[in-house]
Amino acid sequence: MAPLNENVDVVVIGGGVVGCALFRRFTLMGARTLLLEKGGDILSGASKANSAILHTGFDAPTGSLELQCMQAGYREYLAVHQQMNLPLLKTGAMVVAWDQAQLEALPGIVQQAHDNGVSDVALISTQELYQREPNLAAGALGGVVIPGEYVIDPWSAPLAYVTQAVMHGGAWQFNCEVREVQAEENGWLLTTSKGRVRTRLVINCAGNHGDLIDGMWRTPEYEIRPRKGQFLVYDKACATQINAIILPVPTPTTKGVLLCRTIFGNVILGPTAEEQQDRNRADVDETVMRELIEKGRRMLPTLTNYPVTATYAGLRPATEKKEYRIYDYPENNWISVGGIRSTGLTAALGIAAHVETLYRNRFTQRFPLHPPAELRWPQMPMLSDYQPRDYTCPGNGGIVCHCELVTRRELEAAFDSAVPPECIGGLRRRTRVMMGRCNGFFCSNHVADIIGDRLDNTLVVGKVK
Amino acid sequence: MNARYPVIIIGAGPAGLAAARALFDAGVKNVLLLEREAEAGGVPRHCRHPTFGIQTFYRPMNGDRWAARIRQRIEHHYEIRTNTTVVSLNPGGVLEISSDRGLETLYAERIIIATGVRETPRHARLVSGLRPQGVLTAGALQQFIYLRKLKPGNCPVIVGSELVSFSAIWTLRNAGIRAVALIDENLRPTAFKLSTLYARLMGVEVHLGAHITRINGTERVESIAFRDAAGQERVMACDSLIFTGRFTGEYTLIRTSHLLHEADSGRPIFDQYGCCSDPAYYAVGNMTHPADMGDQCYQEGLRIGRFVAESLRAEASTSFQVPVILHEVFKIAAPNVVRCDTGSQASLTLNVRVNRYHHGEIRVMDRQKILYRKRHRCLPERRILLRGIDISALTADSQLTITI
Ligand SMILES: Cc1cc2nc3c(=O)[nH]c(=O)nc-3n(C[C@H](O)[C@H](O)[C@H](O)COP(=O)(O)OP(=O)(O)OC[C@H]3O[C@@H](n4cnc5c(N)ncnc54)[C@H](O)[C@@H]3O)c2cc1C
Ligand SMILES: Cc1cc2nc3c(=O)[nH]c(=O)nc-3n(C[C@H](O)[C@H](O)[C@H](O)COP(=O)(O)OP(=O)(O)OC[C@H]3O[C@@H](n4cnc5c(N)ncnc54)[C@H](O)[C@@H]3O)c2cc1C
Repeated sequence: MAPLNENVDVVVIGGGVVGCALFRRFTLMGARTLLLEKGGDILSGASKANSAILHTGFDAPTGSLELQCMQAGYREYLAVHQQMNLPLLKTGAMVVAWDQAQLEALPGIVQQAHDNGVSDVALISTQELYQREPNLAAGALGGVVIPGEYVIDPWSAPLAYVTQAVMHGGAWQFNCEVREVQAEENGWLLTTSKGRVRTRLVINCAGNHGDLIDGMWRTPEYEIRPRKGQFLVYDKACATQINAIILPVPTPTTKGVLLCRTIFGNVILGPTAEEQQDRNRADVDETVMRELIEKGRRMLPTLTNYPVTATYAGLRPATEKKEYRIYDYPENNWISVGGIRSTGLTAALGIAAHVETLYRNRFTQRFPLHPPAELRWPQMPMLSDYQPRDYTCPGNGGIVCHCELVTRRELEAAFDSAVPPECIGGLRRRTRVMMGRCNGFFCSNHVADIIGDRLDNTLVVGKVK
Repeated sequence: MNARYPVIIIGAGPAGLAAARALFDAGVKNVLLLEREAEAGGVPRHCRHPTFGIQTFYRPMNGDRWAARIRQRIEHHYEIRTNTTVVSLNPGGVLEISSDRGLETLYAERIIIATGVRETPRHARLVSGLRPQGVLTAGALQQFIYLRKLKPGNCPVIVGSELVSFSAIWTLRNAGIRAVALIDENLRPTAFKLSTLYARLMGVEVHLGAHITRINGTERVESIAFRDAAGQERVMACDSLIFTGRFTGEYTLIRTSHLLHEADSGRPIFDQYGCCSDPAYYAVGNMTHPADMGDQCYQEGLRIGRFVAESLRAEASTSFQVPVILHEVFKIAAPNVVRCDTGSQASLTLNVRVNRYHHGEIRVMDRQKILYRKRHRCLPERRILLRGIDISALTADSQLTITI
């Protein structure tokens, strides 16, 4: 097979949010980078299906690497999001106690938040709670507000990281699975489904497959034990029913089921926390979804008035331990960024900064760094329901997807972008096409027509003769 | 272009086109129709079976031919703006629309909402499994095959047993595709009983009382698992899955507007003249009663169009409204409030749907007083008309109850 790419300093394996952030970071440091992703677009693994909350870290283990990365990631997102045209929905969050034991746990939550430096977290009275959330079920006993928990676009943010890297010379391959790794004198020879590539440094960000990738050359230091989370997405009309992210009091094993507005104007309910063996299958299950609905109804009775728009499940790259599993092997030219379980969207930029420090401390002299003289910033398509969208602007080519108000120009732009998607899932995440309440009743035929033969696996299998 | 129209109609399907025709016949000038698709005609544009036209043209016609005919009755008289989507309704007849030109605001004395129906898709039904390509609805199937000549699959399974489920078999056959099976949760087909014979004649297995337990396949549907009526777990290979029926109105605009609506279903509150809680707005067609036949929606559109024309001429008379309350057998009633004007129409027709099979008497009561009683054979998803309800004696504190 022909070589994939010559002269690579850093290969990042895995285009999840963590891989995207590292790809950006090392490119902006001045390395010649290559991102390898086995799916047809970035975010084919854990990162495609999360709650999309930008966390303050109020409830993370005090003093942990996770907390450090989350807070650094949070700060950097706030610092850069406007330059990249990424949205931010300032919802705040509220932990609600529904029984006496939960009520007693609230002061501890406030204390931990303060220990973590999130000083605006405070107890509120029941009266204030219902003032803020009048539709909440009766019977809440008290609450804690976390004003700094926000909602973001979980897909355009990592895409912005990748796009910025590509604008500065980063290379990428989708549908490109890393299958073998072979140590060489000054780096690695990787065999992928698309050919071979030599690199000086490997950063393993393979999420739910991270231990398998490490396992290609050493006994991995962690073992992935995927934890599935199922969600329900409610119709946009439901967004009037809550203001903040509504969190339950966490238990030792799970953060529990939350209610949250999305940046796209919907409400989500979930996630569950289910241990499973399979690293790839994220099934939704009718019985579990019905239980979720019941849980949601107990928090927000009006929820059952709104139809379900979508259902989905994500697999957290959890390990046998709770913490992040980041290991560097300077002798072996390898860094493994694993076990980014349930806060990776928030922490990604912070993890990238942490890995840069690891590199600068222990790996310098691997390759010369020539950072770009001037940084350029990508302008991402705005998909937030809380910002003006393309359908409000002239020359948009008309609306193709009526439920999500996606225009023809937005679809074309995704294909013409710096990093075009190579699968329908990617097209959906980048435009929201077919993500709405009708699941494609009206628009899927238009979409199939626009896609034409631009993708391998399309919505159709052929033409009618 | 911030013109004020006497009437704007949202949706140029059979109901909207019929309302336009009635307005034209009543001499109303300068009516505007807004249609988000590239062509007016609504759902019938992509129905190629002869279930249309009997009431309008006294002969059976394929949907697309019928749609073209009813479109022609309007085209030369009123402007139909296609590729134009209404994105919000505001008090007093103010609309926001989006098109290639971007966002615009339009004003009208009266606005008729005729946005039609769609089917309940996979996710809203909470079906278990993975999320591969190849999961669609019968409406999407028709659009793929008839509007685009594209095949969404080679060996599909059809879910549901309403009329549209059987028309899906027909649609597939026209594209040279044989459905593998038709499966439904109910033990009796939702359409008439003989319909399953038709499926079998077309070589399609029928599984009634069967529940889908998993959709398999990562890129594209590979199979479905289901529990059959005997409780046996089974797996069936297929490359696509077509969810049919369980019609739901396009209430999107209403749910996010100021108009009063039923909290759980999203249907607007509207009276027998189609008038909503804001008297500038009227509702008509399948959006108000999913899902009647095309011809029926056309007839209703004509009727509501006449009322709207009258409302533009007449001074509003003093009137009161009486709510319609349903026994749990009933799912919906259209209308869901009744307007009583001093000295006007005293006979009412209610269009109702049941939640489950019911054979027996239906009564309409004003508190203790029986206004209507008749035996009916009711199947879910089928329209039942309660005609000739005498409402002349209703008073401001009346309450209409539909019961069995
Ligand atoms: C239910 C749920 C809710 C969550 N909620 C939040 C939240 O609200 N806020 C928050 O901050 N975080 C949240 N998270 C966590 C966040 O989603 C994860 O921490 C994050 O997505 C992990 O990203 P990753 O890049 O490590 O892994 P992944 O996204 O899994 O990326 C790994 C990538 O590697 C690719 N890959 C694997 N093997 C190979 C190979 N051999 N060759 C090439 N490519 C390969 C995969 O295809 C995949 O795209 C949630 C997670 C879940 C599941
Ligand atoms: C899959 C399917 C199959 C059917 N098969 C049959 C059949 O075989 N025979 C039969 O008699 N009936 C059939 N029906 C019932 C059918 O709905 C009626 O025949 C008829 O189309 C209803 O007329 P309508 O005008 O109320 O709605 P529709 O025909 O649905 O028309 C509504 C129109 O409004 C437009 N619209 C919606 N929202 C907006 C907006 N915001 N802005 C602008 N435009 C908007 C839509 O694009 C559409 O053109 C079927 C329905 C479905 C869904």
